[in-house]
Amino acid sequence: MEPLMGMGVLAIIGAAATIAGASEDLESDVGSQSNPNSQVQLAPQMNYPHRIFNKAISGEPPSNAMLGAVGGTVTSVLMNAYGLSVVFAIAAGALVAALIHGTYCTSAYMGRSASQKRFRQPIYLDIIRSHVPVMMGFAYITTFCILVVSYLMTAVLAHPFPLPLLAFIWGITVGAIGSSTGDVHYGAEREFQNVEFGSGLNAANSGNIVRKAESGLRNGIDNSWFCAKFGGPVTGIAFGMTVFLSGWITAVFDPSTGTTAGWLSVIAGAIIVLALIIWNRRIEVAARNTYGPYKEDEVEA
Amino acid sequence: MSAGGSGGGAPEAIPQNKLIAFGVIAGLVGVYLSHYLVAYVSTAFSFIGGLAAICAIVWGAAAVRRVASYGLGTGVPSIGMLALGMGVVASMFGLAVGGIAGPIIALLSAAIIGLVIGVLANRVIGMGLPIMEQSMTEIASAGCLTILGLSASMTGTFLFDAVLNNVVATGYIAVIFIAGGLAILHPFNANLGPDEKQDRTLMTAVEKGAIAMIIAGIVSITTDGAASAPTILIGLFIWYMAFEQYRKYVDRDAYDVVGVGLLPTEEEGSE
Repeated sequence: MEPLMGMGVLAIIGAAATIAGASEDLESDVGSQSNPNSQVQLAPQMNYPHRIFNKAISGEPPSNAMLGAVGGTVTSVLMNAYGLSVVFAIAAGALVAALIHGTYCTSAYMGRSASQKRFRQPIYLDIIRSHVPVMMGFAYITTFCILVVSYLMTAVLAHPFPLPLLAFIWGITVGAIGSSTGDVHYGAEREFQNVEFGSGLNAANSGNIVRKAESGLRNGIDNSWFCAKFGGPVTGIAFGMTVFLSGWITAVFDPSTGTTAGWLSVIAGAIIVLALIIWNRRIEVAARNTYGPYKEDEVEA
Repeated sequence: MSAGGSGGGAPEAIPQNKLIAFGVIAGLVGVYLSHYLVAYVSTAFSFIGGLAAICAIVWGAAAVRRVASYGLGTGVPSIGMLALGMGVVASMFGLAVGGIAGPIIALLSAAIIGLVIGVLANRVIGMGLPIMEQSMTEIASAGCLTILGLSASMTGTFLFDAVLNNVVATGYIAVIFIAGGLAILHPFNANLGPDEKQDRTLMTAVEKGAIAMIIAGIVSITTDGAASAPTILIGLFIWYMAFEQYRKYVDRDAYDVVGVGLLPTEEEGSE
C-alpha cells in the first residue's frame, strides 16, 4: 500500500482507539468495575451501605473482550451471510454487544447486592434503570470503535487474523489499559475524597468510600462525571497511543518490503519503548520532587 | 472480612456429585445427539448442542463456586479463563485424534490436564485448597464440554474438519471462548458475598449459558450444517425464563428491593 494511505488509515485507527479507551474507562466508572470495585463491594460490610452501582463482570479485560468478540462475531456474520455494508454491520454488532452487556450489568448489580443481605444493602431499582442504559451506551461506543479498528486492520492493512479474533484481542487490550490507567483516578481519588489528598489508604478507612454527593447521595453517574475530566481522557490517550504507535512502526518501515525494513521497525519500536520509559521516569521524579513524600504528622512542632 | 467468601466450603442445596453427573451425561449426550440428529434427521436439531453447553456451564459454575468460596476473590475470573484455556487445548486435541470418539477423548484429556494443573496449584505453588484438584478437573472438563457444545450448535457436528474450518479459522472460537468462559465464571462473581445462594448462582449460569447459545445460533447462520432460527429462539426463551427466575431469587434473598430510596438508617432492622 502507498505509505501515505497507510498513515491515513492509521490516523483513523488511532482516533477510534482514543475514543474507545475513553468510553471504556467511563463505562467501568459508572458501574464501579475493576480495581475500585473492591472498596464498593467492601463498603456495606463495614457498615456503609451505598447507592453506587456495584458490578464486576470478571474484570475489565474479559468483559471488554466479550464486547469485542460478540460485536466482531455479529458484524462478521452479517457481512458474510447477508452481504450487509460494513457500517450497518458494525452498528448492529455493537448494538448486540451492548444489549448483552446490559444483562451482565444487571445480574451483577442484583446478585452482589442480594448477597449482602446481612449488611442491609438494599437493591435500588432506580439505580438499575438509570445506570444500565448509560453503561450500555458507553459499551456501544467502545465496541463500535474497537470494531472500526479491527475492520480497518483486516480490510485495509491486510492483517491475517479474522475480525472476531482481532476484536477479541483489542477488547482485552482496551480493558487492560482501562484497568491500569483510568481506575486510579476513580479508586484512589474519587472514592476517598474525604481523606487528605495523597495520604494513601489507611486500613481504618477501608470501605469508607464517599457515599454522599454535592447534593443528595452519590451514585455511579456522579463518579463518571468526575472521571470524565481526567481518568477517561487519559485512558483514551494511552490506548490511542498504544494502537497508533504499534501500527506506526510497521507503516513507516513496512516489513513486507524486505528484511531490513522489518528490523528497522523492530528498532523503532524499541526506541519508542525506551523513550517512553525514560519520559515516565522523569515525570515520576518531577512529581515526587514537587509534591514531596507523604509527611509525618508534625507532633513536635 | 474477606470480600470473596466465608473462607470455608460453600453450603450446597444440590450436592456437587449430582451436578457432575448432570454436566457430564447431559453434556456428552447432547453433543452426540446434536451430531446424529443433524446428520440423520434435520439440521434444526443443532440447537441441542447449545443445550449441552448450558448443562456444562451450570456444572462449571457450580465447580467455580465451590473452589472460589475458599476466598479466591479476584482469582475467580482467572480460574474461569484457565478453564476455557484448558478446554480449548483438550477439545482441539480430542477432536483432532478422536474422530467419532472425539468428544469423549476431549473430555478425558481435559480432565487429565485439569488434574495436573490442580496438583501443581496445590503441591507446587502451595495454594492448599482441599478441593483444588477435584475442582480444576471439573472446571477443565466443563470448559471442554462447553466448547464442544457451542461448536456443535454452530456447525451441527463435532467432526474436526468442520469445526476447524467454520469455528477456528473464521475466528468464532474467540466468542465461544469468552462467552463460554464468562458464563462459567460470571455467576459466582456476580453473586459474590456472604449471603450467596447456590440456586441463585446456578440460575445466573443458565441465563448466561442461554446468551452463549443465542450467539452460537447467530454464528450458525454462516454454516450449512446447522439451523440458526431454532437455536436463537430456544436460547431467547431459556434466557427469558432463567432471568425471570433469577429475579425472583433476588427478590427472595435481598435485604430489600426498593424503587427509590435513601440509605438504610442505623436503627432500622439492625441485627
